[in-house]
Amino acid sequence: MNTMIHEARLLWRQPVPVVALLVLLLLSTLAVVVGQREVAAQRDTIARLAVLQQQDLDAQARKHLKRGDAGTVAYYTFHGTEDTPSPTAFLALGLRDASPYVMRVRALALQAQLHEGETFNPELVLAGRFDFAFVLVYLAPLFVIALLHDLVSSERRAGRLALLAALPGGGRRLWLRRAALRTALAFTALVLPAMVALGHGGASLAAMVVVVGATAAYVLFWAGVSLVVAARAGGSAAHATTLMGTWAVLTLLLPTLASAVLSRAVPVHQGVDLMLAQRQAVHGAWDLPPDDTMARFFLGHPEWRDTAPLPSGFHWKWYFAFQQLGDEHVADQVAAYRAALQSRQRWTDRLGWLLPGVGVQAALHRQAGTDLGAQLAYQDAVAAFHTRLRTFFYPYLFRDVAFGAKDFAAQPRFEAPTGAPGVPVSQVIGLVFAGLLATVAGTRAAGRVRVKEGGRS
Amino acid sequence: MSPVFRIAREEWRLMWRDRVAASGLVLLVLLAGVAAFTAWDQRQASAAERTRHQAQVDHEFDTQPDRHPHRMVHYGHFVFRAPGPLAAFDPGVDAFTGHTLFLEGHRQNSANFGDVRQSSLLLRFGQLTPAFVLQVLAPLLLVFVGHAAVAREREAGTLRVLLAQGVKPARLVAGKALALGGVAGVVLLPALAALAAIGVSTPGQGGPAAVLALGYAAWLAIWVAGIVGVSAWLARGRDALLLLLAAWTACVVVVPRLAPEVAAARTALPTRFETDIAIARDLAAIGDSHNPDDPYFAGFRQQVLARYGVARIEDLPVNYKGLVGMEGERLTSELFARYAAEGFERQAAQLAWVDRFAWLSPMVALRRLSMAAAGSDLVQYRRFVEQAERHRYALVQNLNRLQAEQLTLRGDKSSRDNRISATHWHGAADFHLEPEATGDTLRRAAPAAGALALWLLGLSLATVPATRRLGREAR
Repeated sequence: MNTMIHEARLLWRQPVPVVALLVLLLLSTLAVVVGQREVAAQRDTIARLAVLQQQDLDAQARKHLKRGDAGTVAYYTFHGTEDTPSPTAFLALGLRDASPYVMRVRALALQAQLHEGETFNPELVLAGRFDFAFVLVYLAPLFVIALLHDLVSSERRAGRLALLAALPGGGRRLWLRRAALRTALAFTALVLPAMVALGHGGASLAAMVVVVGATAAYVLFWAGVSLVVAARAGGSAAHATTLMGTWAVLTLLLPTLASAVLSRAVPVHQGVDLMLAQRQAVHGAWDLPPDDTMARFFLGHPEWRDTAPLPSGFHWKWYFAFQQLGDEHVADQVAAYRAALQSRQRWTDRLGWLLPGVGVQAALHRQAGTDLGAQLAYQDAVAAFHTRLRTFFYPYLFRDVAFGAKDFAAQPRFEAPTGAPGVPVSQVIGLVFAGLLATVAGTRAAGRVRVKEGGRS
Repeated sequence: MSPVFRIAREEWRLMWRDRVAASGLVLLVLLAGVAAFTAWDQRQASAAERTRHQAQVDHEFDTQPDRHPHRMVHYGHFVFRAPGPLAAFDPGVDAFTGHTLFLEGHRQNSANFGDVRQSSLLLRFGQLTPAFVLQVLAPLLLVFVGHAAVAREREAGTLRVLLAQGVKPARLVAGKALALGGVAGVVLLPALAALAAIGVSTPGQGGPAAVLALGYAAWLAIWVAGIVGVSAWLARGRDALLLLLAAWTACVVVVPRLAPEVAAARTALPTRFETDIAIARDLAAIGDSHNPDDPYFAGFRQQVLARYGVARIEDLPVNYKGLVGMEGERLTSELFARYAAEGFERQAAQLAWVDRFAWLSPMVALRRLSMAAAGSDLVQYRRFVEQAERHRYALVQNLNRLQAEQLTLRGDKSSRDNRISATHWHGAADFHLEPEATGDTLRRAAPAAGALALWLLGLSLATVPATRRLGREAR
């Protein structure tokens, strides 16, 4: 312990590491603050919209209840849904900047409503958010590299290498001690603001473990890689170049290459195709004999078969039947579209096993509930609510039940599905594996530092 | 041979012997080539797919059967945003905006199915395009190969020798800058070839392609000036490297992300949910066309009756329902246009804030210039959305007019059974995006070009004191 305190004192006298650690602490704090502000703003929006939505419902009730028929109400009344941010969403804002976290639906065909987008500034989204995930994935490795790349070469320059190797407790143990101290300090600077915020925000223990575990494993990975390079012959500049190059390849180059390959390998044109097919199916119903439409509807929904036949004019039950048939017409395409999206996510997760940057990004966003899977889960929740809406209205429509104020008040309300976002077990295991592997390699390399060698720094 | 060129040639020889530098350069050039090809291929593929979809929906609209015009108002039409030719160089916001827009009566939908919602978060690592390679990776390579250009001579003691031999410090620095500029030129080569190919083969793209080429040349020149200046100023190569890497991280990675946060914190955007409710409220405040006693539409009826000089709507020479449809659409569309313009103004205000950060990082200016010239910035997206909205309005009003003129009030009882001939739909929905005048595109890139020029000038001037300091060291 005394030697550790001694090392800490030595470190404290060097300007570059101290400044680097302070800057890292500052950036990490900034990222946490930015994330919390954004999540607070989203929560405020959700709360504000709940009030607005209730006012809108009241206005709709005044307007449409006069006719006393459920079809008019079902046609005109929009219902609010929301995707509340999880307690850890502020760490990794993910897709919440580009996909809606609040949307309104009504009992008409779902597929024409479900893919509606949100208003956002695409140039800001293109730039990306300054959240904890960004600081961790991109900046943390740079700081670890800055702290460790000249671990050995600075001593060699100063001419102390031979002396240090000869001292008791020198050699491998010395390098490991120093590397451990610097890595631990970098990890603390990184994770401390996040932990404080998580503690206040009521995050679950599992979420905290994932965040700390993924962060520690990712930092360990870069510490190990840095140690392997730093223990080699050569000067500080050469080591910085090698490490920075490795970082650029692993976090800038390979992910973009993989992204290009993935978008080619797994096409997702089914989304547009299903929209076009659904519109043809829904609007084509106006040109078909209504009784044929009802017959097709009864095939899938025999519970309404024994209701009164259609009158000669317009009837809402025919209208809603062909809306639902339109959705059912494209059910296969919807499934294929979803499968393609999930396949993209799956391949990204697999890539995370090879590229720790991708792995830690996937892990953080999964536990934060802000990734593609979470977006699909929100769509599922909206779809389930939409089914409840249909189920609520159909008895009024098919049995011609009058619709009054009490019925209006009894309309279903969206309830966010309970349950935390999934725990990214495989990503965290992959990260821990990569971290341990790099640590072992670093430890071995630290034992092979040569005292004598040529080369300039 | 001039001494400047001799110094540059010597530097190139050293770089070539340094296997790491040489292979880094070769790899980056290869990568730039691959990026140019994949980005071009990607653009062709998405342009082809959107053209195919557009042809499909145009055909489907044309071949709809005899219908009531109001059914066609709801049937609506799709328009697809095709990426511009230079989007192959810098796709800008293309992946972050929807490209499929459904146009229908009474509603303004969002453009959907953008890649951003259809991809995993892997997309957020960036896209492999020539713009990405030049913006992000090329400066890093220049830092690696150039940081020690002058500092190495000083550390090895050759600087004194050179200066004692009568090499002027300014020539030494110029020679090093020329050497590094040569490397930058090689890195730029694949992108220039791609730009030249697009500029020559596509009418009207020559100017923007030239602006892109100049902009990226200026960007790399900024780095060359900065790297050589730092290398001349600092005593040790490793200090120069650390400082330059820190500068790269700040300029390329941190500031371009911090700027949007500041912009978004200052100006918030309303959600669609909110805007939809606000529009519905405004509309309800004007009038309700379904309510026979509504004062606004009672007034409208009086005006129409007066205009035609009749006493009852039944006596009008046109179908009053069609006129009401047109009036209703006019009212909603005015609101849509107002709210949409307000939203886009807010987004423009956000970007104006981002642009101020160009004084902290030239990358901000470069991105603005690049997306503007490549036709892939927010303004181009806005042009698409606004032109599509005008098209929607024209299409819907055309159909409402058909309802007013082709159907009589007496014969317009059911939108299912009262139909007009399908010949009215032929060619009625075709949409053509009016390309922006090249002058406007270039004007938009001008402030960013000015910022880049100032950066280049400032850093070039900063090498002067660094060079003077070199001269003093020899004495």
